[in-house]
Amino acid sequence: MEFLVEGWINVLLALVLISGAFIVTRRDLLALVSTYSIQSFLISAVALSLYLIEKHNVLLYLAILTVASKSLLIPYFIRTIQRKMRIRRDLEFHYITPIISIFVTLILTLVAYICLSKALTASSAQNDFYLGAVLGVSLALMGMMVIFSRRKVITKIVGYLMMENGVLLFGMFLTELPFIVEAMIVIDLIILVLIAAILAVGMDASIEEFQARLNVAHKWFTQEKEDDEI
Amino acid sequence: MTLGLFWGWIMLENLFFAGLVAWFAGATLPLISISSDSKTFRRISLGIYAIASLLLADVSLFAAYKNITIAITIYKILPQIQFSFMLDRLSALFVLMISVVSLCASIYSVGYVEHGHHKVRKNLLVSLMGFFILSMILVVSSANTFAFIFFWETMSLSSFFLVMYEYEKKETRKAGIFYFAMTQLSTVFLITAFVVLYAINGSFDIRHTAFADPSLLTAVFLLLFVGFSIKAGVIPFHKWLPYAHPASPSNISALMSGLMIKVAIYGMMRFLLFALAPELWWGILVLSAGIISAILGVIYAMKENDLKRLLAYSSIENIGVVLVGLGLYLIFSQSGLPSLAILGLAGALFHAFNHAIFKSLLFLTSGSVVYSTGTRNIEEMGGLVHRMPFTAISFFIGALSISALPPLSGFVGEFLIFQSFLDSHALADPMLRLLMVTCLSSFALTSALAAACFVKAFGAVFLAVPRTENAQKAHEVPKSMIAGPIILAALCVVLGIFSRQIFKSLGFSIDSPDLFFIGVFLIASYALTFAVLRAASSGKVRISETWGCGIISQNGRMEYTASGFAQPLVRMLKAIYRTEERSERKFFDSQSSIFKEGKAEMRLMQFFEEYIYMPIARAVNTASKAVAHLQTGSLDDYIAYTFVAVVVLLLVVGWII
Amino acid sequence: MNWPFLIYIFVNAAFALLISPFYMSLIKKIKAWTQRRKGPPLFQTYYNIAKLMKKEVVYSSNSSWIMRTTPYANMIAVLAAAMFVPLAFVPQGFDGVGNIILFVYLLAVARFFMALSGLDAGSTFGGMGSSREMSLSAIIEPTTIVVFAALAFTFKTTNLHEIFTETAKFPAFVMNPSLFLISIPLFLVIIVETARVPVDNPETHLELTMIHEAMILEQSGRNLALMELSSAVKQTLLTGVLVNVLMPWGLATEFTLQAILFSMLAFFAKAAAISIIIGLFESALAKIRLFLLPHIFMLAFFLSVLAILLEVF
Repeated sequence: MEFLVEGWINVLLALVLISGAFIVTRRDLLALVSTYSIQSFLISAVALSLYLIEKHNVLLYLAILTVASKSLLIPYFIRTIQRKMRIRRDLEFHYITPIISIFVTLILTLVAYICLSKALTASSAQNDFYLGAVLGVSLALMGMMVIFSRRKVITKIVGYLMMENGVLLFGMFLTELPFIVEAMIVIDLIILVLIAAILAVGMDASIEEFQARLNVAHKWFTQEKEDDEI
Repeated sequence: MTLGLFWGWIMLENLFFAGLVAWFAGATLPLISISSDSKTFRRISLGIYAIASLLLADVSLFAAYKNITIAITIYKILPQIQFSFMLDRLSALFVLMISVVSLCASIYSVGYVEHGHHKVRKNLLVSLMGFFILSMILVVSSANTFAFIFFWETMSLSSFFLVMYEYEKKETRKAGIFYFAMTQLSTVFLITAFVVLYAINGSFDIRHTAFADPSLLTAVFLLLFVGFSIKAGVIPFHKWLPYAHPASPSNISALMSGLMIKVAIYGMMRFLLFALAPELWWGILVLSAGIISAILGVIYAMKENDLKRLLAYSSIENIGVVLVGLGLYLIFSQSGLPSLAILGLAGALFHAFNHAIFKSLLFLTSGSVVYSTGTRNIEEMGGLVHRMPFTAISFFIGALSISALPPLSGFVGEFLIFQSFLDSHALADPMLRLLMVTCLSSFALTSALAAACFVKAFGAVFLAVPRTENAQKAHEVPKSMIAGPIILAALCVVLGIFSRQIFKSLGFSIDSPDLFFIGVFLIASYALTFAVLRAASSGKVRISETWGCGIISQNGRMEYTASGFAQPLVRMLKAIYRTEERSERKFFDSQSSIFKEGKAEMRLMQFFEEYIYMPIARAVNTASKAVAHLQTGSLDDYIAYTFVAVVVLLLVVGWII
Repeated sequence: MNWPFLIYIFVNAAFALLISPFYMSLIKKIKAWTQRRKGPPLFQTYYNIAKLMKKEVVYSSNSSWIMRTTPYANMIAVLAAAMFVPLAFVPQGFDGVGNIILFVYLLAVARFFMALSGLDAGSTFGGMGSSREMSLSAIIEPTTIVVFAALAFTFKTTNLHEIFTETAKFPAFVMNPSLFLISIPLFLVIIVETARVPVDNPETHLELTMIHEAMILEQSGRNLALMELSSAVKQTLLTGVLVNVLMPWGLATEFTLQAILFSMLAFFAKAAAISIIIGLFESALAKIRLFLLPHIFMLAFFLSVLAILLEVF
């Protein structure tokens, strides 16, 4: 039984990573949000499977909390914003193209594996837990990659959220649970604040454009060249 | 059996010697009558080549099959320095390869050399071709490093002259000089390596394995690897190859691409398998070099529209494949998996042998195409399958084989390498297994791209409608130029179909699929399908126009071009080609809506030239300029230099001793 | 060679030939249903093949023996590949038959000929089709090989027959979760190899979508029938690999009439299920732009490498 569950945890983890790769490459904002929601669902499934092995009640709560907040509530929020914004796609990629980013993702996973295998040989003998931690770190790194390689704020938010998912995974497999729950809530709060802030300023394209709008008065007087990127 | 033994023990050395003498005689014959335009002399000479090749093929086949070693010494200069030769299994295999290919190339040349107009040059072509092949045979059968390097140099020199055959063309001169510089560079590395080897084991013997000082072995390996890589055209030392191979006459391109780069592979194998003690990272280095050559070689070939240059790039790819097999051998044998190691090595050797055969086949047939159409650009060909049917079928078999399609010979080598990749789950180190998976996926891409590349080549050259008048007027080549390639094509089929039986008869228990069975099955099911269709269908046939959306008559300008064919891949692999697209547009109005004029250009960046070769060349140039100040032209200065040099030497000698 | 093996070759090929056209119509039917249409009859592909058999063959005046041999080359390559994928029962191993690499390359033979025949008539459509086909097949090839390598790593063998014997012993796929992971990229490989939406649209000859259909545009009559039949068999074989790996329930490993008949029935049903999934998949997606396809292929590649990683570590 345990062997079976461990095998399925592996598959779920692989699917989580795939959803991460999907988020790194997709341009369709709606698909991004849905993928994020699926990813959170998968992570809660991982938590549930871990509960089957370890029988910690915390894991159960964690799973419920994750489904409720990240697969339902936050995606709902973001979809609401999107409906107001009329923006469907994020076509711009800084620094890396989608295909290269998948390569980078693969390499990141490997690097995480090699580095962690040097750092953690003593503390974690169990292979599966170890893999979970590796995937957690690489998911967090992928989240960062999304943040710096994409321009639209919504994509950046999804990147932050994915990073947080990575941290959650890492925590589930390696560190003490109550602490990580705490950390998760903190990060969630940060993101919620971020969302609220964006809603307040009426963002509809990118951060640069928001700044441009702040500077509009200044521009008016100095007659700078027009920003023709609308 | 007794007769065979008799043959083997009494005659083999003499036969081998006789073969070498015949080559030499054949090669000097055209020199005697150098200024007379005598067809018969050239024919006799080529005939002698063919007979000598048959003889040597016989001897080496026997030696390889019976696994016996033949050794002869021809000339002793000093007790240590002598021209002595030996044929063990590895050498015999390469001698066999050289003999078989040069047999067909000699037959082909009977027709081919006559299409020139310059009589001295024609005689020289035949003669130098003989010396070139002879020195290749002597390199692979050398028993000591001295003979090896001597004949290596004669091989390089004769091939340099052959590359310069059409020296009036600027392009050819550039290719020749480039080739000469690179090949001498390779010799420098090899001589250094051999000197170091002599220093550590005190012997010129090529099979010597007792090392007084193994600490320098890594240096020897690196020197040999670079030296042989330059000659084999391994990326990043490949740049001379796509210039030199197309520039030379086609029969020589076949020899250079099919055989000469294999001689370098022979050198690598000789030292890695017998003389040096490999380490794991050597294997990883060889494997990575192989993968990079394979994948970049085929990617460049895909883009190429010059038929012979396309084949040259594809040679780089195949050398990469051979190196992958060799690298796998080294890795597996260092990881304690001898059966997988043998699989990799067998793949490398078999692929090297087959590549010699199908690449010379492709070069010879493309030589026929160039001979008939007068151009090397495949955009100016088309429709030749109707005009040159025998050449087309030979080229087709070569293309099938090089695309690694079963049951032809090219498949078997790649199959063995694939198989050892897939069995690499037996490796203990997960990182190594990961490396295997990475290399496996690139290797798979390589062979699929090779298929795409040769669909493009065959399709653009032979199929559809001629695109130019020259292609329209092309006609089938003389009989000898058909016969040579046909023999090679038949060998491609035979070596593929009977691969399993060949391995078995040589005493290797290699689990390769029984392609003979597959072949029989294919023929049987063909017969069955044909019979069923005969019985069930109407059998009516009509010849009509190609459907062209209502256009009445079709011409060559409507069909897909070779660059059009390659375009999707070129676009998908844009990062590797590093194409630079620039466009400038001018408009009548400020809103940029009414177009006035524009300019667009596309340039292929040459990565290796711009970032590796040119900086080195510039550095050398600067250094030479600095040194040039010493050259004043006054005799007194030169004597002063000599004086200083002698004094410095004296001091150095005194210091050391 | 033993006689059960001979019988196996014959029965397996005949079975594949017999059932393959059915799935082509089944997929069309499913797509029609999702669009609220009635759709063609389930046996329409059989009728088409019978009709094409009776029609005359029209060759272009530009075409050569390539055009004439391609249908046969396709058919026999696919028939040889049919030896490698046991649909009815798994025979006792015969040397080299069932090897994964040989299987992939036999399909490559068919593709090579088909691409050349696309160029043969000198039609722009054919050239476009074969150019795209060779490009896409080159780009998907690493994924294909790595998927099969993942299978080889999981089962420690490169022989499909041995793999299927192994899966038939443990028929519950939940026992080996990495198989589930492998089956996703394998499904994508099937989609690419059989020219389905989102890679290609098998319904149209339109310039924008056509790959496979464009290549066979100049084929006609019994030759076209052979081409259609062989691509149907190819689809069944690839589906067969997926079915036998993922849900090998009922696959016969011993040589008895009853077991074989049951196994055939079971395979028929399982392959129908896969075809329904393919039909729904096709209906759910739109054709992707040609130059965006490498993204999808990369994802499939990523998945298959992950499957191997899970096996390796």
